[in-house]
Amino acid sequence: MKIIFTAKGENWDSPMDARFGRMEMLVIYDEESDKLEVVSNDGIEDMEHGAGLQTAKKVIELKPDVIITGNGAGQKALDLLKRTAVKMYIGAGDMTLKEAYDAYKHGQLKTQF
Amino acid sequence: MREVVIISGKGGTGKTSLAASFAYLEEANALVSDCDVDAANMHLLLDADFSSKEDFFSGELAVIDEDICINCGRCDEVCRFDAIDVIDDQHRVNFISCEGCWYCSRVCPTEAIEMVKQKAGDLFVSNIKNGSKMVHAKLGFAAENSGKLVAKVKQEAKILVLKEDKAYVITDGSPGIGCPVISSLSGANLVLLVTEATVSGLHDLKRVHKLVKTFNYEAVCIINKYDLNEDVSQEIEKFLQEEDIKLVAKLPYDDTFTKALAVAQPIVEHNSDGQLSLLIKESWESIKTIIKENDR
Repeated sequence: MKIIFTAKGENWDSPMDARFGRMEMLVIYDEESDKLEVVSNDGIEDMEHGAGLQTAKKVIELKPDVIITGNGAGQKALDLLKRTAVKMYIGAGDMTLKEAYDAYKHGQLKTQF
Repeated sequence: MREVVIISGKGGTGKTSLAASFAYLEEANALVSDCDVDAANMHLLLDADFSSKEDFFSGELAVIDEDICINCGRCDEVCRFDAIDVIDDQHRVNFISCEGCWYCSRVCPTEAIEMVKQKAGDLFVSNIKNGSKMVHAKLGFAAENSGKLVAKVKQEAKILVLKEDKAYVITDGSPGIGCPVISSLSGANLVLLVTEATVSGLHDLKRVHKLVKTFNYEAVCIINKYDLNEDVSQEIEKFLQEEDIKLVAKLPYDDTFTKALAVAQPIVEHNSDGQLSLLIKESWESIKTIIKENDR
């Protein structure tokens, strides 16, 4: 399983970012290799509009199985993500990455779609 | 830190008056962020001192270097916004029409067109009269509000609130249901929908709530001027029940709203013992209770 977290930092103790489109960075966890990888979302703060679609594109290109985030994606990004096989889990906005992963593993997170 | 974002969809429902009153009541415990940057006016009610100021840049403008330009007219041909004028045999950019799309700059054979970042407005951090601080912005003429600007206001507020260890952020949200509203909602612990008992009040409440629901925020509602039209008010209550939105308060039509605005004061400051002020105080207490219950 390849899992993307919307994050504000680079490791398991970092806080999650509740936002999807304007998330600070993407942290990718590959369960098979047990490795964390960080993809920056720099430049998103310079976008006046359309941050959601831009980030969704970046996420889709990384081909994750699961996305874990806080409030979920907005309508436009959602329309795009729904066309892929990815599963979106929400409600982890106030957690650390580790807590978010545990909550996901224990089935405590809701899905957005 | 807990953040309450106050939005209404429709203008004129009393959103900013209530937000300013809540901030006034909570005193130094609450930081204020004004994300209603199109019509920013909360600073008037809270006596903001504009103590720190930063330029805000958004969008770009094409600028032709007339020394390099050969007046071939390629820019004029491709511009979809009709923003290239020929004045005195020189191609010039009409800065009002230019959307900053880069097309002319890309096709210019002599690379005479540079894209220059535009100042869209100012971002301020102010001391306010409740002993706290507020983050706010002012847009320039014809500058467009954007998720970007609101995100910037919110980011500044977040840094400040963590530094000063305050209990609440009270955010006056953007109007409508577009990009700036989505941005002003981000990270909210509770969304307060302020509506009024009119047909458009209900209509816009439904629209903005649909947006709030997309992001799974918990929403509560205040019906202002409920006695303007009690039939509509009942319809609003029915809608709230169906959508499982807690009704925090029903406020009667009261000209204290206008009188307080006229002297640039929050209602609870202007007429602190009045019936309306008491209802507003109760509302803020209920909101805090809801937040505390959610934390448990």
